[in-house]
Amino acid sequence: MSHVDVVGLTKTYDDRAVVDDLSLTLPDGSLTVLVGPSGCGKSTTLRIVAGLESADGGTVSIGGRDVTAESPRTRDVAMVFQNYALYPHLSVAANIAFPLRNNGVAKDEAARRAREAADRVGITALLDRKPRQLSGGQQQRVAIARALVRTPKVFLFDEPLSNLDAKLRVELRSEIRRLQQESGITALYVTHDQEEAMTIADQLVVLDAGAIAQVGTPEELYRRPANTFVAAFIGSPSMNLLQGALRGGTFEGDGVRFGAPGADAAAVTLGVRPEDLLVTPSEHGEGTIEIVELLGPRYVFIVTAGAHRLTAVVEAAAVASWGKTPAPGDVVTVDVRADRVHLFDTASGRRRA
Amino acid sequence: MKVRLVLLGGVAVALLPIAYLLSLALRPAGEVLNSSLLPDTVSLENFVKVFDTIELGTMLTNSWVSAVGAAVLAVVIATPAAYFTARHVRGDRLLTILLASYCAPPIVAIIPLFFLLRYAGLTNSLAGLVLVNGLAGVPVAAWLLDGFVRRIPVEIDEAAVIDGLSVASTLRKVILPLLWPGVVAALLVTFFLSYNDFLFAVYLAVTKESQTLTVGLSLFQGDRNVQFGQQAAAGLLGLAPVYVLALAAQRYLVGGLTTGATK
Repeated sequence: MSHVDVVGLTKTYDDRAVVDDLSLTLPDGSLTVLVGPSGCGKSTTLRIVAGLESADGGTVSIGGRDVTAESPRTRDVAMVFQNYALYPHLSVAANIAFPLRNNGVAKDEAARRAREAADRVGITALLDRKPRQLSGGQQQRVAIARALVRTPKVFLFDEPLSNLDAKLRVELRSEIRRLQQESGITALYVTHDQEEAMTIADQLVVLDAGAIAQVGTPEELYRRPANTFVAAFIGSPSMNLLQGALRGGTFEGDGVRFGAPGADAAAVTLGVRPEDLLVTPSEHGEGTIEIVELLGPRYVFIVTAGAHRLTAVVEAAAVASWGKTPAPGDVVTVDVRADRVHLFDTASGRRRA
Repeated sequence: MKVRLVLLGGVAVALLPIAYLLSLALRPAGEVLNSSLLPDTVSLENFVKVFDTIELGTMLTNSWVSAVGAAVLAVVIATPAAYFTARHVRGDRLLTILLASYCAPPIVAIIPLFFLLRYAGLTNSLAGLVLVNGLAGVPVAAWLLDGFVRRIPVEIDEAAVIDGLSVASTLRKVILPLLWPGVVAALLVTFFLSYNDFLFAVYLAVTKESQTLTVGLSLFQGDRNVQFGQQAAAGLLGLAPVYVLALAAQRYLVGGLTTGATK
C-alpha cells in the first residue's frame, strides 16, 4: 500500500505537449480515475507511472520513493491492458502465476496463490484452459487475477473494459471496484467513458489537452464543475451551455430568458443540467419539441428554443400528468431551476464564484 | 474450369525441366544423346554409377551440413535483431539498412571474404561456408522475423516487463514461444538459400573434401565425354530431399513469405 505522487510531469511528441506540467497525488488505497477525450494524455500519464514510457520532465514517486528513472520491473506495479495482453502460449493458471514465478516464488506456492486469485475473480473452472479458449470477459478476468496475485504497490488499469460489450462492462467495473477496495491497493484507472469514471472513482481527474481540468470526487465534479470543459464532459446527457448576458438576475441570450442569480456580466455562459431544465406543454410556449426518446423511467427531449437546441430529461411520471403522449412538434414552455444553474465566464470558460 | 486448365498448364511448364531431368537420369548412357523426350529403356544404373564417378555422398553431406549450419547461425543472429527492429522506435531504419546490404551483388564481397577466410584459416572448410552463408542469410531472416514479431501485440512485451522480466528474458520466455512459426519459416528460407548457393562455395570451398553439391555438379566431367545421365541423377538426388522438405513445410513457408510481404 502506497500513495503515488506525480509532480510536474511533461511529455512531448513532435513538439506537441501530450502531458503538460501535470501534478497529482493518488492517496493511499484510493482509486483515482483519469478521464478525458482521446488524445488528452490520460494513457500516456498512466504509462509514465508504469514506467513503460519515459517522462521529458517531472517525477513519479511510489510510496515516497522516486521511481522516475526505474524500469517497470522494479516499480512493483501491476497493469491491466485494454487488449488483456495474456500470454497465449500459457494456460490460465500459468498466466496468473507468471509474475510470481519471475519474482522467485516457488512453483507450488505460486500455483496455490494463482488458484486463490482465480477464485476471487470467479474463474477457478478455467485454470487449465488457454487464453484463446476464453471469451473477452473471461480473458480480462484472467488479466485482473494476474494483477491481483502478487499484491503490488499500485494497480494500473488502461481502459480495461473498452473491448467488452455494454452489459459486461457494467458488471466488471463494479467487480474491479470491489476487488480494489478489498485489497486496499492504490489504483490508477484510465477511461474515456465518463459514466464508468463516475461510478468507480474515489478521486476523479478530468484531463484536457494534457493538463488537469479539475480534480475531485465524482459528486464535486458533477455539482460544481470548475469550467465549461468539465461541465460538458461530465454527465450524460451533457450539460446545456448557453452564451449570453446576465443583468439583474436574468440571463438573456439568443432568444431565451431564464432567471439566474449572479452579478451582472456582459458575457457569461449559462450551464443547465438536462434534469434542471423544466419542460411543460403550453400553447404559448417559446420552445418546440424536436426529438423524443423514452429511456424507461425518464424521457429525453431535444427542444429548440430561440437559437438553442436544449436537452431536457424529464421523469416519465411527470410526463404522465401532461395528459398526452409527447411528440415532435409539441409546443412547450422552457424554464430552469434557478438555484441549480451554473455560470461560467465566457472568455476563460471558468466558473464564476 | 478454364482457370484450372491455365494453372495446370503453368505447373506443367514449370515442372518440364525437372521431368526431363528425370527422363535423362533414367536412360542408359547410350541413349542420352538421342534427344527423345522419353527414354526407350528405363534403367537405374546412373543412380548407382554416379557414386563411383564423383564423391556424391560427400557433396550431399557437405551441402546439408553447411546449409543447416548456416540457417541456424542466421536465425540465431536474426531473431534478437528482428526483435529490435520490430520493437524499437527507429528499428525500421536498421532493417532497411540490413536489407539494402542484401541487395548488393554478392560477388563484390568475394575477394575480401576470400582473404578474410584465408586469414582465419577457414577456406575450403564447412565452417567457413557456414559462417559466410549464415551471415549472408541474416538480412532475409531478420526481415521475415520482423514481420512475425510485429504481429505479436506489443502489450504482451509490456505485460512481461511489468511482471518482472528483463528484455532478454521477455524475448526468451514470452516472444520466442509465439515466434515459432516465423523461426521455422526463416530456418527454411535461409536453408534453401545456402543449399542452393553456388557463388560463395565455388570460390571459398573447392577441395574434394569441402565441395558442395552445386560446385560438384558444375565440375561434372569425365576425361572424354560429359556424363549427362549421371549428372541428371546427381541433380535429382540433390533436389529430391529439398523438395520433400519444402512440401512438408509449405504451411510455414507460405505464411512466412506472405507475412514479410504484407508488413
